[in-house]
This record gives sequence, C-alpha cells and structure tokens, in this order.
Amino acid sequence: MKTILAVDDSATMREMVAFVLESAGYRVIEAEDGAQGLDRAAATACDLVITDQNMPNMDGLTLVRNLRQMGDYKSVPILLLTTESSDAMKQQGRAAGATGWLVKPFDPATLLEVVQKVLR
Amino acid sequence: MTAGQGKGQGNSMNDKNNAGAPDAKDAAQAADLLVTVAETLNARLAVTAQELARSQAMLREASDELMTAFRGAADRIVAAQREDSADEAERAAEYGTVLDHLYRACQHLQSHDLVNQLIDAQKLRVDKMREKLGEAINLASPGGAQPVNAEQWIERSRAMLDCIVAGIRQIDDDPRGVRTDKKSAGSVDLF
Repeated sequence: MKTILAVDDSATMREMVAFVLESAGYRVIEAEDGAQGLDRAAATACDLVITDQNMPNMDGLTLVRNLRQMGDYKSVPILLLTTESSDAMKQQGRAAGATGWLVKPFDPATLLEVVQKVLR
Repeated sequence: MTAGQGKGQGNSMNDKNNAGAPDAKDAAQAADLLVTVAETLNARLAVTAQELARSQAMLREASDELMTAFRGAADRIVAAQREDSADEAERAAEYGTVLDHLYRACQHLQSHDLVNQLIDAQKLRVDKMREKLGEAINLASPGGAQPVNAEQWIERSRAMLDCIVAGIRQIDDDPRGVRTDKKSAGSVDLF
C-alpha cells in the first residue's frame, strides 16, 4: 500500500484529501504545517507528498526545498495543492523541485488521476 | 477632544498670537492629510465590505450544493439498506454511486473551508484597522494636558495620522491571505 503525506494547516482540507485518497486504497498520514511535514517525512518513508503553500511555521515551497535536500526524497513526487494560481508562484514551485501544482478546491477524481500518474 | 477641534484651537492660537505663516500652513496641510487618509480608509473598508459580501454569496452557493450532494448520498444509503441484494455487481455499482455523491460533497466542503478562511482573513484585517483607529482616537483624547499652541496640535494630528496610515498598511499586508480564483480552481499543472 502506497503512503501519502498530506500537509495542510486546514483540518478540513486534510480530511478531504485523506478521505479521497483512502477511498482509493492509499494510506494517508497528515501534518498541519511544513515543519511538522518535514518531521513526518523523516519518520515515515512516503511515496508521495501533497502540500499546501500558505501555512504557519514553514510554507509549502520551503518544505519542498527541504525535502529535496533529504536523500530519501530526491525523486519522490511532491504536489502543491493550494489556492495560489499565479504563473509566478507555479514557476517558484517548479524551481523548488515540485512535481506538480493543483489549485483548490480540487476535483476528487482529478486528484486521484494525478496521484496515480505521478506514482507510476 | 477631536482632531478637528484641535485644529480649530490651533488656528485660533495662531490668529491670537499672529505666530506667522509656517504654522498656519502646516496646520492646513495636516488637516488636508487627515481628510485624504480618512477617504483612503473609507475606500479600503468599502473593498473589505464587498469581499465579505462576496464571501457570503459563495458560502450560500456552496451550502446549497453541499446539501444536494449529501441528500443524494443519504438517499442512496437508505435505499441500499432496504434492498436485500446479494448481487455483488449491484452492490459495487451502488457503492460507486454513493462515493460519487460524497466526492461532490467533498469538493463543496473545500469551498466552505476556503470561504471560512477568506472571512477570517477579512475579519482580521478589519480588527487590525479598528485597533489602529482606537489608538488614534486615544491620541486625540489623552488624559493629560491639552496642547497649548498650534505646534502641539499639529504634532498630535500627525501622531494620529501615523497611526491611521499604519492601520491602512496592515490592511494591505496580508502575506498568508487566501486567494480564490474560480477560473483556476481545480486546475492541474504537472512539471
């Protein structure tokens, strides 16, 4: 079973992501900000990370940069799931090492398609 | 004591003492600035009010959709419980239908969450502005001695202005604000 780390400061959003992914057979672990996400990623080998951008303590782009410096996460797919939709922000995400950028609110079927695609 | 009263007394002191043009000019500029700041503040708060109204409209729309989705799921579950079907294919199809309803609910619950965050951000902005306005009002009515000349009145007006301007800057300073863009919602970019 693939393990996915969902990072978001909104409990509702984490619950929605977890519901959709678990309904498709994935194991989901949650973190409420980038700093906690980094700890969880270090403690558990995750196959995919889905993170929000605007969060307290550590934002999503910083989390991506930190994960890319960890040996185990150099090639693990990382998706940004955020309300930010500007091209400039997406460029920053790409430069930080993100695999993709999804804009909230997400369509569950589309999220599952993207997850399946990046986990292949 | 208000800034307007202060300005009036300051001018009257100028008239009485005939202190010269620079004081009167400063006082006039301060008064003009105060008006400009008040107008700017008014415009910012009008935008905030519009955003709150928009947020409420989005919330109502999402709520309606959410209720429809939930009712759909609930009806299906009740129907499935009544039927004593041993057919696995039929059961799987039923599960798929219910899941579809729940996915729709999930999408709209996200909208609820985002709108809640949007409203929270607006409330925070308004609260910050109100806090600064409160500070400015306190400056206009301190417990101690009142200004005795035009310079002191101008100094107080400027302190009030600084306070109001700081409040306006806080309204624009929103690094973690939620940005909702209906056109981009749900979009995917894979790098």
